[in-house]
Amino acid sequence: MSTALAKTSAEEALGVSLPDRRMEEWRWTDLRARLNKAYAPVVGSANAADIDRLLATAPFAKLTNHRVVFVNGKFDARRSILAGLDFSGSVAPRPTVDDPVIDINSSLKPEGLTLRFDGQTTELVEIVHVAVAPLKAMAIRNRIEVAEGASASIIETFVGEGDYVMNAVTEISVGKGARLDRLKVERDAAESTHLSHVIYELAENSRLNDITLTNGAVLNRQNGNCNFNGPHAEAKISGAYLLKGKQHADTRLVINHAVPNCTSREMFKIVLDDNARGIFQGKVVVARDAQKTDGKQSSHALLLSENAEFDAKPELEIYADDVVCGHGATAGDINHDHMFYLQSRGIPEAEAKSLLIAAFVGEVFDLVADEGAQAALVDIAAQRLVKA
Amino acid sequence: MLKIENLHVKLENENREILKGLSLTVKPGEVHAIMGPNGSGKSTLSYVLAGREGYEVTEGSVTYNGEDMLALEPHQRAAKGLFLAFQYPIEIPGVQTMQFLKVSLNAQRKARGEKELSIPEFMRFVKERAAKLNISQDMLKRPVNVGFSGGEKKRAEILQMAVLEPSLCVLDETDSGLDIDALKVVSEGVNALRSPERAMIVITHYQRLLDHIVPDFVHVLSDGKIVKSGGKELALELEANGYADFAGKAA
Repeated sequence: MSTALAKTSAEEALGVSLPDRRMEEWRWTDLRARLNKAYAPVVGSANAADIDRLLATAPFAKLTNHRVVFVNGKFDARRSILAGLDFSGSVAPRPTVDDPVIDINSSLKPEGLTLRFDGQTTELVEIVHVAVAPLKAMAIRNRIEVAEGASASIIETFVGEGDYVMNAVTEISVGKGARLDRLKVERDAAESTHLSHVIYELAENSRLNDITLTNGAVLNRQNGNCNFNGPHAEAKISGAYLLKGKQHADTRLVINHAVPNCTSREMFKIVLDDNARGIFQGKVVVARDAQKTDGKQSSHALLLSENAEFDAKPELEIYADDVVCGHGATAGDINHDHMFYLQSRGIPEAEAKSLLIAAFVGEVFDLVADEGAQAALVDIAAQRLVKA
Repeated sequence: MLKIENLHVKLENENREILKGLSLTVKPGEVHAIMGPNGSGKSTLSYVLAGREGYEVTEGSVTYNGEDMLALEPHQRAAKGLFLAFQYPIEIPGVQTMQFLKVSLNAQRKARGEKELSIPEFMRFVKERAAKLNISQDMLKRPVNVGFSGGEKKRAEILQMAVLEPSLCVLDETDSGLDIDALKVVSEGVNALRSPERAMIVITHYQRLLDHIVPDFVHVLSDGKIVKSGGKELALELEANGYADFAGKAA
């Protein structure tokens, strides 16, 4: 029997119950301990100069002609570039998934848009979230719909300043034969908390290529549910963590193979320095009828410090008998033979290390279809891991 | 150029001494072969020269153009002109061969205060050298040594040598794992780099490499010391009689 825990000040301020570590899915992430202040729902807007300064730190400005900007969780039409986009301003209803991140999202009365893509969209669309709201909590609930046979490419960027709570719930629907490339770049403020939940609904013959770079915030919890609703669909869900200091990032993905002949690939490359901690929890469920499922999951950590920690929890729940499913997880430090080989060719230690770290996460960045976006990620990785 | 005096080396974590007072002097333009049985200390010598961690020099010195080489980091030794061709070249996934060559060359040039090469200059520079070693463009695009055959790995080592243009080349068992055709290509690559300014130390177990890369001097390494030195005919003598004679002397 579990006993009720005393309410934290954040729980009081937000009017929700936060998950505690006695819940199996939250055993590594102590949200109650992290949210120990009275974060209140955000009201009013931020200083314009702060917003513009932070917006300028979003790394993809030059790549996109379509931009949807949210400031402190509110849609900012004036800073957005909306020409040619099909969107509506109504917030989607609460997803039916039972999840504490979604509960927090609902209690914060989220704003959000529905973005629709019809036909072949070749240009990138960026959704930028700017947060500058000390001791406030904010929530967004967006919906992205890619119509039958359509294709779209989206970048979602998070930037900010100060100690705040960002909560972003996104529902994604990829129609029959449609394709979505999505890149999420999480560079929230170093003191902030980032919570997200993405629900992917994939129709027959659809393709999803989803990549997340987790780079900011002191605590990250990113959940995903990927549902295959029609056969012959393919989902690649990948991620890279670049964390240092006391950063903590925990990803939990559930892939539901409910129908036959679908393919899922999860690949996470996790770089941890100092006292950083990375967690990857991946569950693959294959229903009795989902024959010919091909599901693979891997998570690999590169530990740059003796105090860094990586935890992996792969779960396979397979009810069909004709499937190919597998998982693998590794953790290790920089390979000394690699280092010596590079150094013996004249490359100084720090540069050799950067080269090997870039090579390690490069496998994930290589999946980014847009070359400009890929180059921007390589730059972020190079800057982020350089030691002062 | 290179002066090794009374070098004693042990593994950092063990008390067993591997090199027990090795001395060797190499002058510009000379090719020295070091031959010896397994366990005589050949690879240790190459690693200590290149600065690999895990070895402790307990006595003696290594100077290169008058400078204490043992005080330098591996990358500094490389910038001073030392190159080690590895017996087992390391595979580095995710680092493209061409990028690796460029970063290496530019790091060395920067350390020496020279201008970095522009990308077109560099491409031309590498392609010329790669063609001579039968190294395809495809190989240059692949990650360093990943999926290369034994022969490809050794050719890639010689390409690195040709691109970095070191003044002292140490070839550690470059013949191991090569068939006769690959041995010829590699040897031609090495011979093309012989010059009055460049010295080479060719470490090998077998004489056959020395048919292709003809040394000026041959030294026999046994139990951590050079026990005999001579001209190229010494290699033939070893081929005929084996190392047994020398093992006895050193014990």
